[in-house]
Amino acid sequence: MVKTFNDVSTKTYWKIWSLLLLITLVMMLIDTAALARTLLVSLLLVGMLAKASLIAAYFMHLRFEKLSLVGIVTAGIFFTAAALFFLIAPDGVWILKSAVK
Amino acid sequence: MINTQLAGALEPPWGGGVSPFAVSWQKLMMWLFIIGDALLFAGFLAGYGFVRLANPTWPNQFEVFHIEFIGLMTFVLITSSATMATAVGGAKVGNRQQVLRFLGLTILGGLAFLGMQVYEWSTLIGAGAGLTSNPWGVPQFGAAFFVITGFHGTHVFTGVLILTITAIRFVRGRTRFEGVELAGLYWHFVDLVWVFIFTLFYLI
Repeated sequence: MVKTFNDVSTKTYWKIWSLLLLITLVMMLIDTAALARTLLVSLLLVGMLAKASLIAAYFMHLRFEKLSLVGIVTAGIFFTAAALFFLIAPDGVWILKSAVK
Repeated sequence: MINTQLAGALEPPWGGGVSPFAVSWQKLMMWLFIIGDALLFAGFLAGYGFVRLANPTWPNQFEVFHIEFIGLMTFVLITSSATMATAVGGAKVGNRQQVLRFLGLTILGGLAFLGMQVYEWSTLIGAGAGLTSNPWGVPQFGAAFFVITGFHGTHVFTGVLILTITAIRFVRGRTRFEGVELAGLYWHFVDLVWVFIFTLFYLI
């Protein structure tokens, strides 16, 4: 059981590597499948976040850092990025609707 | 009396100890840099999301790109992240040979990725794509593609430079575990950003 940075072996890194490749392959297969757009986008976003979490947790060792650092990094990036998108996204929809009219 | 007042004034107002995040200042600064840099890409991707929402159509990525080739680029970058992690693991236990071998492989991976990006860019430019126009009908497509992948490619190039400098410093005994770990953090961040670009720009 990997609990601290010292417990991480080279094997762990290559296990994460194979998981990342597997998720990437599954995402590429999903992209070619005839799925409803909302379902397709949701599945791809889940895959993307899973890969990002694995890289941050194991390759960047965030899993073994103090919770205060993990919180600052993940919450800081996530909430600012979300705010950026949701502040300007409604304008995009508005422009599209105006153009369609 | 004066000594007591002085002692009180010198006491730090922060009561959480000298290292609230339990990491060195170098590592904390690298994390703060990564947060700032992540917001740069968040801005680009939010802007890209905006133009996607504002356009009734968007070029079909399967017609513009060879998705299998982009998948190969992703494979190369993910593999270079794994070799980088292995180099950091080697530095942790003081295995000099492992550090140098895997740093070298990571640099090769970065160079391979850059080569593939040059090929991809030249193919698109050859097809008539530019910052303001492209053959696929949505002008913002070219701008989004060249700006987002261009900034990411610049990060990969910078990463290759950082890794090369780290390798030279490691050989000369000027840096040890922490230098390799910090270079690794930057490299994994570059890989992390690609995960978002690959999904949001090439797949969705």
